[in-house]
Amino acid sequence: MEKKTLRNFLICGLILLIVVLFPLVNNNFIIRFGTDILMFAIMASAWNIIGGYTGYASFGNVVFFGIGGYITAVLMEKAGLHFSIAYLAAGGGAALFAVLIGLPVLRLRGHYFAIATLGVAEAMKALVQNLEITEGNSGIYLPMLDLPIQGQYYFFFYMMLGTLIMTLLATYFMLNAKLGYSLIAIREDEDAANSVGINATLSKTIAFALSGFFTGLAGSIYAYQQAFLKPDAVFTVHTTVKMIVMAVFGGMGKLFGPLIGAFGIEIISETLSNYFLVAHTLFFGTVVILAIVFTPKGLIDMITQRKFGITYFLENIREHRI
Amino acid sequence: MIILEGKNITKRFAGLVAVGDVDFYLQQGEILGLIGPNGAGKTTLVNVIAGVYAPSEGDVFFKGKQISGKKPYQIGRMGISRTFQVVKPFPGMTVKENAAVGAMYGAGGKNKSAKEAIQRAEEILEFVGLADQMKKGADQLNVASRKRLEMAKALAMDPELVLFDEVMAGLNFSEIDQAVELIKKIRERGMTILIIEHVMRAIKNVCDRIFVLHHGEKIADGTVEDVLNDETVIKAYLGRRYKELTH
Repeated sequence: MEKKTLRNFLICGLILLIVVLFPLVNNNFIIRFGTDILMFAIMASAWNIIGGYTGYASFGNVVFFGIGGYITAVLMEKAGLHFSIAYLAAGGGAALFAVLIGLPVLRLRGHYFAIATLGVAEAMKALVQNLEITEGNSGIYLPMLDLPIQGQYYFFFYMMLGTLIMTLLATYFMLNAKLGYSLIAIREDEDAANSVGINATLSKTIAFALSGFFTGLAGSIYAYQQAFLKPDAVFTVHTTVKMIVMAVFGGMGKLFGPLIGAFGIEIISETLSNYFLVAHTLFFGTVVILAIVFTPKGLIDMITQRKFGITYFLENIREHRI
Repeated sequence: MIILEGKNITKRFAGLVAVGDVDFYLQQGEILGLIGPNGAGKTTLVNVIAGVYAPSEGDVFFKGKQISGKKPYQIGRMGISRTFQVVKPFPGMTVKENAAVGAMYGAGGKNKSAKEAIQRAEEILEFVGLADQMKKGADQLNVASRKRLEMAKALAMDPELVLFDEVMAGLNFSEIDQAVELIKKIRERGMTILIIEHVMRAIKNVCDRIFVLHHGEKIADGTVEDVLNDETVIKAYLGRRYKELTH
């Protein structure tokens, strides 16, 4: 057991080292691509807290991304605040919004919750489109980061990396604390969870707020990087779908699942669009369907169980009666 | 000392009276059996005590404090734990984690860290005889072990009162005898027990007192001997041939 922990620790350290050194040996295009992967890894991991561990499939998590982005834009552009303050306010604002919206919405279960969150995101888009302070549909500009081009690429890459590490660490500590147990208990059977003394409303709200917090941070960095936000692009449901697909593809309810999913999905989709200009979404869809059929527990299950053979695939198909 | 008391408990579901004007009490350290035909309102009564339903009329008092109207988790933390007739394990967790959740959030959970709760879970699983299956997934257990896990989850909460809702249904004779022994051991630890059961062999063996529900109304309440010989109870529930069959 001790040896295994040490080995896992070493593997994590090695991967981290490679990622940290990654920008130093690559061109700006690749760094930007890496930054995008990290951003989606944050969002998929944050979605995992509410969707994977708590079992509440939020279809509106993009709302936290948008709120984070717009808080950053408004605070920096209108109030002239420094990015560091806007960054924290973006996370805090998104978390606060999660608490407020969670109180009514988290009473719903299953499909009803999914639809309600979808509605929340769309409503927020409409709101931002019509508010004066967000400059509506014409979009809002942010001050540019005052660094040379190369430095900008590094800055955003390391901001995303740092935020991702924070997200994963928070999830890790949550899982080993009582909160993590309560979330999984709620996912497995909410009535039973209530009867063993779990205040399900409180636990779910905290999970939703954590999910919102980290998604908001990602939105904040994204906004600063883009230096221009438009409601349509920021609040698109595509982003939510991407988070969910990544989490499922990599392994829901597993610490590193969404991270692996984000890498996998982004690299597959990038490769496909390089080779097939028109039909790449078709191939991409096929890959996702195959992955769900053959490895419903996600890539992480294959990696940790070290099962790659045909028997593993057949076992999965039999177990899930596809 | 009376630990749990229900006064004039009525629970209606859209006009249907599931429990009608029932009074009951439990002495500290007592094992009270609750019996009655299917649909008599036994599980509804447990759900009212556990806070799943608020009673339509009447009040429940635990150690003198009113608990009717409180939420299930609040009642669980006060020291009342329950099992479910259709067992509700957390299937995606191991047996140990299942019990640990009870230890974390039950009456004794407030001062326990996650680690201490896991230790407590191990003790309880040892106590109910699941120690060798601790690392299994909860969905891999057989019926008898599932019922035991359901009890372990309730006991890990360190309650003063446990409500066992048909923990012996579906067990064979030797498993029932083991369960009876377990319930006696639980009482020795100072817990008060309310037990709903159709298995008369168990009821006769463990209960100090029985009360009988029929169509949501209490038709008998007294010592095991008295109740099982009561004409109304025989007519409503046990049946004429009960004596011949069990003796």
